[in-house]
Amino acid sequence: MSDSQAEIHPREVANKASKESLQKAIGMALRVESDALRLNTQSFNTNRYSAVGKIGDYEELKDRARKIKEESIRDLSQLIDRLTRSIEARGGKVFLARTKDDATSYIRNVCLSANAKLVVKAKSITSEEIGLNHVLAEAGIDVAETDLAEFILQVSGEQPSHIVAPAIHRSRERISKLFKEHFNTDKPLDTGEQLTEFARDILREKFLAADVGITGANLIAAEEGTILLVESEGNIRLTTQLPAVHIAVAGIEKVIPGKKDFGTFIELLAASGTGQPLTSYTNILEPPLELPVLNLNGREDKAREFHLVLLDNGRMKMREDNDLREALYCIRCSACMNVCANFQTVGGHAFGGECYTGGIGAAWTIGTSGNLADGRFAELCTGCSRCVPNCPVRIDIPRLNSVIKNRLMKSEGGASLEKRFFAGFSTLAKFASFAPGLSNWINDLPATRSLLEKFAGVDERRPLPRIAGKTLTRKYTDYRKKIKPPVTLPDSTLKIVLFPDVFMNYQNPDVGMATVRVFEKLGLPVYLAEVMEDGRSAQSQGLLESARRSATKAAAYLAELVDDGAEIIVAEPSVLSMFRSDYEKLVGDGELFVKLKTHTYDPIEWLDKHCNEDSDFLKKLSDRVSGARARIFYHAHCQMKAIGAGNAVPELFRKLGLTVDTSTVECCGMAGSFGYKKEYYEISKNIGRDLAQQVEKSTAGQGGVRVLASGTSCREQLRDELGRRIGHPIEFLAEIMGK
Amino acid sequence: MIEQFIKSVAAAAATAEKIPSNADSLNEALVRAAGDGGLIFFAAAGDVAPELFNSFRRSERVITEPTVEQMKTLKVGVTDAFCGIASTGSVCVTIGRSLSGPAGSLTRKHIAVVDGSTIVPRPRDVFSEEFLDGKGLRRSFSFITGPSATADMGPLVRGVHGPGKLHVIVLE
Repeated sequence: MSDSQAEIHPREVANKASKESLQKAIGMALRVESDALRLNTQSFNTNRYSAVGKIGDYEELKDRARKIKEESIRDLSQLIDRLTRSIEARGGKVFLARTKDDATSYIRNVCLSANAKLVVKAKSITSEEIGLNHVLAEAGIDVAETDLAEFILQVSGEQPSHIVAPAIHRSRERISKLFKEHFNTDKPLDTGEQLTEFARDILREKFLAADVGITGANLIAAEEGTILLVESEGNIRLTTQLPAVHIAVAGIEKVIPGKKDFGTFIELLAASGTGQPLTSYTNILEPPLELPVLNLNGREDKAREFHLVLLDNGRMKMREDNDLREALYCIRCSACMNVCANFQTVGGHAFGGECYTGGIGAAWTIGTSGNLADGRFAELCTGCSRCVPNCPVRIDIPRLNSVIKNRLMKSEGGASLEKRFFAGFSTLAKFASFAPGLSNWINDLPATRSLLEKFAGVDERRPLPRIAGKTLTRKYTDYRKKIKPPVTLPDSTLKIVLFPDVFMNYQNPDVGMATVRVFEKLGLPVYLAEVMEDGRSAQSQGLLESARRSATKAAAYLAELVDDGAEIIVAEPSVLSMFRSDYEKLVGDGELFVKLKTHTYDPIEWLDKHCNEDSDFLKKLSDRVSGARARIFYHAHCQMKAIGAGNAVPELFRKLGLTVDTSTVECCGMAGSFGYKKEYYEISKNIGRDLAQQVEKSTAGQGGVRVLASGTSCREQLRDELGRRIGHPIEFLAEIMGK
Repeated sequence: MIEQFIKSVAAAAATAEKIPSNADSLNEALVRAAGDGGLIFFAAAGDVAPELFNSFRRSERVITEPTVEQMKTLKVGVTDAFCGIASTGSVCVTIGRSLSGPAGSLTRKHIAVVDGSTIVPRPRDVFSEEFLDGKGLRRSFSFITGPSATADMGPLVRGVHGPGKLHVIVLE
């Protein structure tokens, strides 16, 4: 659909305070922007993996970066004082703006006293936050956005859709169309080169005529008063060198102790952002510059002037907020957006507010606007956690979004029926499992589906999960009646306990039974733990109190098992990642958390680890599967990747001589309940198709490829797309191990 | 380290050559890299021994004090650099009292001259007292890594507001 056919303009739905505007924005993004978004974000994403892979001490650098940011935010007031002294000593000025009005009036006054008619401006999200262009225009000052993406947006009137590449939602074709409609020109505008040359020529004239240059700042060193400005086009170099007056506007959170700290950030920022070792220009500036005034604009300015506008606008309040403080560590690299399957699909016009976008965007939006409802787009964070290991300052972005969902829910009078429905999956499943045949039949009735859609927001088009004929607990009890556990060696302290999460117990008991069979064939008896809530479903709906209650109970129970020498096997990755990651904050008992973190495993991960540690064990397993020659396509669960277990399946199966292809889709798009919800069904299906296309590409012409996935929702999504049952890797292993 | 640097320069879509460190070789290399005709905007911050530019500075094509009009139109800029980065192929060009900043950013082709002995392993080393006697800690400068580029118009395009071509001459 072409965007000229009465399509919604992104600006109309930039503010997401109402549910309707979020819905409209999602629809618009899926219809108009999705193809360009997926292409561009996935290309950033692939480049990022390759660039960070080349940083030898990536993890250490991230630790250092995190520490510097934590300490800087802690010591912020002293750092701002120090910075002010350094810049003033050089003849520059520092203005601390409490609000956005303070900031824009100051900047307007500097421009007016410089008698400015034209300002050239580099990309600055902070200037978007304060609505600077509007204020300057009202004062009769022309503003030329010189970053080409911002130049496009100035023409289209759209808000940024991405914090690093603000026009990432526009394909080359849509830019050509926009320019042809807007500019009256005979020049050709049909290739990237032509469009770039066209914009460059217009902007070169602006640079040569400009009276004032305005930039943001990536980071600011307090000790030396140095600003870091990263770019690729060269517009920041011209903005800071040509006009005599330079104004930099930046949030107070950008201040770090000294220039030495830039060394920690510059490689991380470029690799995490655009996936380059460094971008074309990394500018280290101590303005006012010593460079003579050039006066290319014909003025007779005598000296260079520099103003640093440091913006609070809610940041000091965020600093006092134990949850939102995390967001202040953000260095605006955009890795969290590029790695996010939902963001790849709808971009920042839906998954974003008026200027801040993506997973990190909701915290920034509510922090700077002061209005909680503006952060409603946090609902698009499914908690898949792919951003967590890719954030250069280790921000737990899914947690920030859970907190925002939770606050929003409370401010709107408690959990909606929809949220309670999805959060209470285990209770529903428990009731349904008393008479599974009847429950599945009732669930499939058109009347039921229509009621579920109306009252619980479950999309009618999505098949509901099937309740198994017998729960895992019953199957296990029946099995034990027939088959005694293998005898454990007398000196062995090893005890394998399978945790029957609610998904496995009610929906996929076969995965549990396959785990029991595989381990017992290898001589390891498996005991079944009690079925209990782990808090995952509640947490993903933002019902944090309920999640915390479940987590506290489950953690105490599991820790007791660990004290008894148990290794706990968890076959559902979203539950495993609760124990290995989320419980740290939910349970808040460091010692208890470490106990769970170090003794819980995915079944394949546990086997792989033991094969690495014990060559006899590997031989035993290899002997059991000798002769199996299958080819596998494996999709790793998002949260399994986030906790570092994403490679276990390909690694073990390759050790066993099998061929394994893997998907590069970050998350299947189902993400627990997300893909069932009416509002998000289309996004989920869009991502599912991306994954299915990969499967089809990989399996084309290769007869007998087995598609495997570790997550319950990944299997449901793939089943829905491919029209066949998808197995868990442990089921496949049980199958090839034979009787 | 020089070899790694030259490889990284190429990976960043720029070109590099290594020449002996004397005024005649440098003049020859600079004139060759500048290409046919046209004036050359030359500005050095004194980061490479100034006498090495003696032959080049005498060439009639070389402009060291451009007028406003010339600055707007000159297509080729030559600057020195105070160091190079082996891992990224960047050159660090001072923005100081000389016009090396504008010469490397207003033009269409930038030729940067760097002394091979000032190449450091990684970007972060520029901010360390251990390297270059801490020079990197006491100046305004830009790490320049390949030509100016954008992907904002769809495909990757080289040459936007800054030079579309970068050539690095390493003095051995």
